[in-house]
Amino acid sequence: MNNLWAIVVKEVKELVRDPKILIGVVLMPIIIFPIMGAAIQISQESVERAIMGASFAVYTDDEGFVTDALLSYLYTNNTVVPIDAGSLEDALGAFKATDSSALIYIPHGYHTNITLGQKGVLRVYANLRSLNMAETQSTNVVTSLISVYNYYFSISKIRNLLTQTGSMGTPEAVRNPIEVHYASILKGNVLDIPPNAIFSLVMGQSIMLPIMVMMMVVFAIQMAATSIALEKEQKTLETLMTLPVSRLTILAGKLSGSIVIALAGSVSYLIGFGFYMNSAFSFVPQATTMNIDDVGVGITPLGLVLVGVVIFVTLVSALAMALSVAVFADNVRSAQSFTGALITPIMIPAVVLMFSDIEMLPQTVQWLLLIIPYTHSIIATKAAFLANYVVVIRSILFISVWTFVVLYVAAKIFSTERIITARFTFGDLGKRFRRKRPPAVNR
Amino acid sequence: MDAIEATELTKDFGSTQALRGASFTVKEHEIFGLIGPNGAGKTTTLRILSTLISASSGRAQVFGYDVARQPEKVREILSYLPEDAGAYQMLTGMEFLEFMAGFYSRDRAGTRSIVEEGEKISGLGDRLNDRVNGYSKGMKRRLLIARALMMKPKLAILDEPTSGLDVIQSVHVRNMIREYADHQGVTVLLSSHNMLEVEYLCGRVALISGGVVMAEGTPDALKERYGAKNLEEVFMEVTKSE
Repeated sequence: MNNLWAIVVKEVKELVRDPKILIGVVLMPIIIFPIMGAAIQISQESVERAIMGASFAVYTDDEGFVTDALLSYLYTNNTVVPIDAGSLEDALGAFKATDSSALIYIPHGYHTNITLGQKGVLRVYANLRSLNMAETQSTNVVTSLISVYNYYFSISKIRNLLTQTGSMGTPEAVRNPIEVHYASILKGNVLDIPPNAIFSLVMGQSIMLPIMVMMMVVFAIQMAATSIALEKEQKTLETLMTLPVSRLTILAGKLSGSIVIALAGSVSYLIGFGFYMNSAFSFVPQATTMNIDDVGVGITPLGLVLVGVVIFVTLVSALAMALSVAVFADNVRSAQSFTGALITPIMIPAVVLMFSDIEMLPQTVQWLLLIIPYTHSIIATKAAFLANYVVVIRSILFISVWTFVVLYVAAKIFSTERIITARFTFGDLGKRFRRKRPPAVNR
Repeated sequence: MDAIEATELTKDFGSTQALRGASFTVKEHEIFGLIGPNGAGKTTTLRILSTLISASSGRAQVFGYDVARQPEKVREILSYLPEDAGAYQMLTGMEFLEFMAGFYSRDRAGTRSIVEEGEKISGLGDRLNDRVNGYSKGMKRRLLIARALMMKPKLAILDEPTSGLDVIQSVHVRNMIREYADHQGVTVLLSSHNMLEVEYLCGRVALISGGVVMAEGTPDALKERYGAKNLEEVFMEVTKSE
């Protein structure tokens, strides 16, 4: 135990004191994400300020009380730049000279059409000077204003018609005869909540959890590969392997040290990402005041324990795989290239299953994904969230079998001379195809 | 009991034969030199004896323990210093010695005593509190020599112990090796290209070439056998006949 502890402490010191790892894995996420979030927040706030202070221009070519009513509505509580011109062409010229991004043009005939029961036409011009978000938002403000006016205007007209014809009903019901009320059935319970609201509430957690697991696995793989490659690069591996300590203890020490750093990296990533989400989406109004417990979708203590088991077996297998592969690398750079090949099959299921369930995919894709052991890690974490424990335990068993296989291979490599003699470069692959040649040895 | 008994060792790396039946013995408490040209099989021999790699055939014993069957027992009494060995760059010299000492002692006092020995051998003083990545090549080698000898192993296998050291540091290291062999009961097997060093340190020498031991004996006996004035001439004679 003392030997194992000594190796773990050494591993952690070596990895944490390496500026590349400390900055890249532990500090970067906690610094970069909040900076990104703050940048988005600043930009969003600027847009909001621009919209709030935005004015729009109005030019009318029409007369009459219907037109006057619209003008009166537009001028109330809004910053309006009136355009006085002899023609539309002149009006557009004058509009371009203003700071406004939108112009509402009331053409001749608007009043007449409406009084005759026809559609009154308005035209909105958007002046896109720099194609930024504030300009489109200004147009949206104008659209919303007209849409509100349109609604109340139509209600008023319907009310008059109903009175004149003596018909039954309300103007709102005539305008929108059908109203839909949404409800959701979740885990057998009927809830008066729209499915979209529940999905947006749950999505954050059910997606974040698998992402976190995958991020941790990726970090751990990088750490483990770096750890063994550092031993080779610094020429310390041979000394380590002749110490009076079992090879399995060395393997366990390296696995544990990498897990510690991977956990630190993941926590840093989560904190950083949390800041990012809070800052970047602080402008989005809360869609609902629902609590996750209100809808009965939350991870139970048992689910949490099972997720812990999933994370543990996933990490151990990924680390053992990384160590086994990194043994073939001469230095840290080669090891990082090798881990790139390992990370790809881990990220593919994470990305695919982020937005869809395995059952929704075509049969061939399902089988291809299910062959990848780490697909089961994602399936298990999602299933734990929905309290589908049979699926979780089945996945844990599958990953555990894979973990034992990989650990066996890693232990074999560590207990034989392969750990010292194994060498592989991408150049070797080319040579292998060209001609067979004995490996170079240092005699 | 012989410290090392190597019998007909062979080692194949694919179609390359690194050792072709090397045999020699090292007696307890002696400093034994393994010399030979590049690619002769010296490092392969040292790696087999250090339990890092296994022989394709033949047998090697260290203080009666079979290196292939009882590698754990061998590792308990052996200390190996590879030619191009390094130390953990992000640890301080002191942390490095403490880490290594921990494997040879069951208690803190024992570890402390080993580390103190290491401090003395290295002669690095306060620089031991600096990280290894700030050390010169010579300082690193002294730290590694200290690591190899501080626990007073029954057998120290040193591959080019003074490689990369200047004259003053080389003399310091040689004196340390002699001190530990003569007074601390450490048997030393070393390989070196420096014939003066071998002649100065080693009680007996084996000349290896082409994966086999061509000659074995005391430096004086070898010089007499080959009519040479020094080991360098013996080396030239032996490798020429090869």
